[in-house]
Order: sequence, then structure tokens, then C-alpha cells
Amino acid sequence: MNPLQQTLPGRFFDGVHPVSQPVGVDFGLDEVAVTGDESTRRWEISALTVSPKAGRADRFVAFPDGSQCQCPDDPILDRLSQEVASEGPVAWLESNVWAAAASVAIIAVMLVLGYVYGLPAVTESLVKRVPISTEMSLGSRMLETLGKSGWFDVTRIDPEKLRAIQIDFRTLCQDLPNAPHFRLVFHNSKVMGPNAFALPGRIIIITDQMIELAQTREEILAILAHEIGHIEHRHSLRTIVQSSLAALVATAVTADAASLSAAVAGAPVILIQKKYSRQFEAAADEFAFNLLRDHNVSPAAFADIMERLDAREGRARPGSFLSSHPATADRMRRARAYGRR
Amino acid sequence: LSDYSKYTLKQLNEKYQKIRKENPAEEGEDLALISAEISKRSSEAAGLIRIATDAFEMEHNPDLSIRFLKQVEREFPGTREQADASKFIKRIGIEKDHKIDSLKKSENQLELEFSATGREYFQVWIVNLCLTLVTLGVFSAWAKVRKKRYLYSNLILDGTPFQYLASPMPILRGRLVAAALFLLYYSSSHFYVSLLPYVLSIGAILAPWVMIRSIGFNCRYSAYRNLAFDFRGTYFQALKVLSAWGLIPGYVVGISFGFWGAPWLGAIIALGFVIYFPWWMKNIKTFTVNHTRYGGQAGAFYATGGSFFRVYAVAGLITIPFGILTGLLGFAVFGSLKGSPYLHYILSVPAYAGYVFAYAYMQANITNTVWKNIRLGPVFFHCRLKTMDLVKLYMTNAAGIIVSAGLLIPWAVIRTFRYRVEHTRIYRSGPMTGFEGDRRGSVSAAGAELVDFFDFDVSL
Repeated sequence: MNPLQQTLPGRFFDGVHPVSQPVGVDFGLDEVAVTGDESTRRWEISALTVSPKAGRADRFVAFPDGSQCQCPDDPILDRLSQEVASEGPVAWLESNVWAAAASVAIIAVMLVLGYVYGLPAVTESLVKRVPISTEMSLGSRMLETLGKSGWFDVTRIDPEKLRAIQIDFRTLCQDLPNAPHFRLVFHNSKVMGPNAFALPGRIIIITDQMIELAQTREEILAILAHEIGHIEHRHSLRTIVQSSLAALVATAVTADAASLSAAVAGAPVILIQKKYSRQFEAAADEFAFNLLRDHNVSPAAFADIMERLDAREGRARPGSFLSSHPATADRMRRARAYGRR
Repeated sequence: LSDYSKYTLKQLNEKYQKIRKENPAEEGEDLALISAEISKRSSEAAGLIRIATDAFEMEHNPDLSIRFLKQVEREFPGTREQADASKFIKRIGIEKDHKIDSLKKSENQLELEFSATGREYFQVWIVNLCLTLVTLGVFSAWAKVRKKRYLYSNLILDGTPFQYLASPMPILRGRLVAAALFLLYYSSSHFYVSLLPYVLSIGAILAPWVMIRSIGFNCRYSAYRNLAFDFRGTYFQALKVLSAWGLIPGYVVGISFGFWGAPWLGAIIALGFVIYFPWWMKNIKTFTVNHTRYGGQAGAFYATGGSFFRVYAVAGLITIPFGILTGLLGFAVFGSLKGSPYLHYILSVPAYAGYVFAYAYMQANITNTVWKNIRLGPVFFHCRLKTMDLVKLYMTNAAGIIVSAGLLIPWAVIRTFRYRVEHTRIYRSGPMTGFEGDRRGSVSAAGAELVDFFDFDVSL
């Protein structure tokens, strides 16, 4: 049979009633004839359009008068002008096994590269564009929210001691260009226990429990130096931006699964976040060790306080892909190594 | 002369009897007016009862019939017509199931088939995902069309597949608008917080518009047998349904502006909304179905708020034993695992199981309730999803997706879709020629895309 001339079985729909009429569709050289029970209609082949290919599904040939004909997919239908021209090449890729295999490889490479280089780089350039005033109002608000929701209350440490820590803190950061904007805040927190953390907008919070746990001035300085490291690298803001971007990509990739299982969609974001968090901690450690050394404080003090924190919690924190901080033993070893240098 | 139109039929009847009794011979003008009014009202009631009879006997639509009879009961209390209507409603109650069952025969059933395969959809999915990533999201509009087209084209009703008609360019435009609005929302919720109340206010004003545009877009670009669906809901109708006449956005915006001084006031309003929620869902579904049209016929939705309430209440009860289990487990292992980060993961297992069961129960029963109560002209639906089936489906989907690092997502999509199709039956109580099409107009994709972007699904 001539590949340009063929007859396909079809179902004809007039566009007025959803009633199907069985027809035969004869594809001629320049003409298509649709033959039903009662009559035959003829159209110029150039006046017809066909719906895009979708798997093995039937396709629809549209006639100029608004009627349509459902036909099984056949190569001859590609002779007609396509309803959505841009879908043709995509449909071809979809039907090609090698295209699927290549897609898997390309996606894997893109996700890995994006994760290792892309996301940090984009975050970096976005964070640079956030004005410090915006970051500061964000930080103040977070501080306010934490206070309101009962995470901590007024400090109970002796004001003299607090003053001494403030003076130490100022000395520690005096050479940093942004030092005047740093804010060190003291709070009592039974909920969090011994803890210190940095908020966006150059705010550092240290809890009474942490101050009490420390046995020397140096240990408090070591903790503060670590938090200054977070601030200098704008880690809090980066975490917010990075987690939002990661969530965006993860949503795009797993969108189709979201309705099937919420936990599945969330999992990759959590794992990604933990990994970045470990990197941030390591960077803050590095910064802290150098800063401490510049001020003639041994980074070993950091190891001491970390050791005491762990002892208090009863067991070493497991260092795994689920944890947000690097394994403590690792951090202590690095701190002591810096101390010896 | 007095105006009798303000009296009820019962009052008119009594007046007539009274005058007749007091003065049997009188043929006054009052009496003539009263009797004219009585016969006008009676024929109104009779008309409604006739429509109800037709709806039940000819169209096999008991719910529609009951709706008209209830109207008679409401508008003509204490009359013979009301008594007739009540009697008829009782009769329908007895015969209804039999009537529906008698229609659920093979000759009335429209065969519904889903011919998609996991393998084919995987190829569609992976190629489109790859192109979306490579083009940094621009291609996502094409990806959406391709995926929807594949699913529609493989959903075959009575030998003819559904058609997805949207083209990528309007969707891309819609996505750009949605992305801009999302960025506005994101930056105001994270960085420029003083703007947030204004952004939320704008959102509240836009929400009904987004809803009607989104449903409209999905309807107008979905077709079956060369007839597109249509949606005729208006902004104000959507505003009324979506926001309970503006109360809900008023409350939300009020919170962000700090209008509600006492926290207990806000808590009471929030509790009120939790209780109102099933009726709210019902109203949204009713709005969606009643304004959806196919071939000149509008859909009709008969479910009651009470039936939605029962489903949500049971789903809530399901979570209780799992909550207790979580508590007991936490008590049992707390001592030995104190301070360990694994404690959190162990405790989340029963909590997650409770969530899955409650979610599956809700999905199965809301879907069943919704479809059972939809009629589109002569077409009616029957859906029988089972909670345990869905639990198994969700669990195996999640396991497969995790183990395959996401590569089994398309497989999960197809088997979930197939389960739903295989447990849905479509019947007709009359010929399809009752549907008659007209020309369709196009609608912008912006509304539809906003809904996608904010993950706010109002579809059935």
C-alpha cells in the first residue's frame, strides 16, 4: 500500500452532540474523505490539524467546520499540520528509550552539580544583595518571636560578669569591619539549656546555662568566636535563602509525588539542609580557631567546652548524615590541632 | 382592597373558609381576589410537584426531585400540597436505592478505562523533567501540558479518550505572573514583614478570582467527544463561598494587622472555623459542580455538610489511638534514649502512621461522597475507594519512591490514578443527545497557575 494513501477507522464527533459515529477516514494525496453510514465528506488535507501525539493514545483530527475525528495513532497523521507544533519534538523524545536514559543521566549530573556548586553560588549572590538593614529587622523579629513563645527569659547572671563578657567580646571582634553592628544578647533558657547561636542581623545569643557550664573565660570566648564566624559568613541568612531554594528545586522535581506522599517530598530537603548545616559549622569553627589564635587564646578551649557539653548530654552525638553538626570528636581533634600549631 | 400576596396559602385557605362560613351567600370582590390568589398558589405548588415527579420517574434523579419537594414543604406550610410533598419524599426515600440500583445495569454503564502504563509515563515524565531543569524551569509549562495530555489521552470513557486542549504559552505566562506574586509573598513573609498584611489583603481580594479562573481554565481546556467543559461561576459567588462573605480573609488579615486584641477572641474564631470547615468544603464543591457545564447542562451537587462533617470527624478520631501510642512509646524509650536525636525519629513512626491512616480515610470517603452526589444531566457517578487500599497504595508508593531515589514517581502516579479509575463507575439514565454544545471561549491561564504554585487545590 502506498504509505501516503491509507484508510483509518475513526469515530466522528460533530461538535454539537457527544455522540460517536463510526466512520472510515481515507487519506488521499491532497484530500481526506470521511465516510459515515449516510454520507461522505471531503476536505483538503492542508486545512486539517491533528492533536499532538501522547504515547499510544488515539489522536484527534480537527476539520475546518469544528467537527473532529478520533483515529488510532498512525504515522500518516504526521502528514497533517500539528495543532501544537512545539510538542512534536518533545513527543519524539518521549517515545525514545535512549532519550529517557540520557535524561536520567543529565538530571543526576545537574542535581549533583547544582547541589555542590550551583546552590551555594546562587545563595552567595542572593545574600550579597540583601541589605543589612533588612537582615537586621529580620533578626530582631526572630529574637522577639523566640522571646514571646517562651524559649527564653531575662538573664539571671551577675551584671558584673556580663559586663566582663561584653568587654571580652568587643575585644575579640574589634578588628572586624562590621564589629560596631554586632549585638551580644544574654538570656536564661531552661528549654534550650547550654546553647549559643547567631541570628540574622549580626545578633548573637548566649544562654545563662552556657555561661555557667564554661569554667574559664577562654571557653566563653571560644563559643563567641564560633558564633562570630557564623555572623561573618552570614550563615543564618544563607540558611534561610538556601533552604528556600532547595525546597523550590525539590518541589519541582517531586511535584508529581507530592499528592501521593507528603513525607517523600520533604525528605530530600531535610537531608540537603543537614549537609549544608555541617559545612557551615565547619566553616565557623575554622574562622573561630583563627580569630582565637589572633587574640592569643588557644583553640583548645573550644575543644574543652565541647567536651563538657557532650559529657553533660550523656553520650557522644552520632556523626551521620542525619545530624546537623559534624561529629564532636572530629571538631575537638581539629581544635586541639590548631591549638598546638 | 387588600393585597393578598403577603399571606401564606394556609392563611388564605382559612380566610376563605371563614368568610364562607360567616356569610355563605356573599359573592364579594374580596372573596374573588382570595380565590384567585389561592388558585395561583396552588398551581405553583402543583407545578413544583410535577417537576419533582418527572425528575424522579423520568430522569431517575431522586435528589433533584427531593429538592423541589422540599421547596414545596418550605413555601406552602400547613397545606394539602405540603402533605403531598412530604408523602412523596417518604416514598422516594423507600424507592430511591432501588431506583438507582435498577439503573446500575451494564446497559446503562459507560465503560471507563485507563490505558496508561508506568513505563510510558516514565518516559514522558523523565524527558519533561530533564528539559525543565535544563531550561531552568521555562519548559515547565510544556511539561505540564505533556503530562496532562498523556493522562487525559489515556482516560477512555465509552471508547473515546478525554482531550486536554491547553497550549503551553498561556500556561508559561500564567506561571510568570504566579512566580512574581509568589516572590512578593515570600519576600514579605521573610524580609519585608511590614508589607505582609497588605500582601495578604491583596491575596484575600484575589483569591476568589484565582479560584474561578483556575476552575474555568481547567474546564475550558478539558474536552470529551469534541465538546469542552465550561465554568460559569462569578467573582462574587466565589467570594461568598470561599470566604463566607469575607469573614475568613477578614479574620486572617485582622490577625496580621493585630486587630484582635485578646488572644481568646482569635482562638474562638479559629475554633469556629474548624467546626465550620466541613460545610465550607461542601460549599466549595457545590459551587464548583453547580457552575460546571458540559454540552449546555450544568452539574448538580447534592451532598450535605453533615456528610462531610462525619468524614472529617472520623478522620480526627482515627488519629487519637496513634497519638496515645506515640505517647506510650515515648514514655517507654525516653529513659534509654534521652538526648539521642534518634528519639525524634522513633517517635515519628506511629505519628506518621496515624497521619497516613487518617489521610487515606479522608481521601477515600470524601472522594466517594463527592462523586456519589454529582449529577451531570443524565450522567451519575459511583466511586468506591477503600481506606485500607489507599493506605497500602500510599505506603508502597512511598517505599518505592524512596528506594528508587525518585525514579518510581511516575509508576506511583499511574497506579494511584488507575486505582481511582478502576473504582469509579459512570452510569447514564438517559441518552447522551441531551447534551448540546456551543462555541467555547478561551480563558487566561494565570488563575490556574497561581493555584498550582501555591499548592492550593480546589479541584475535585
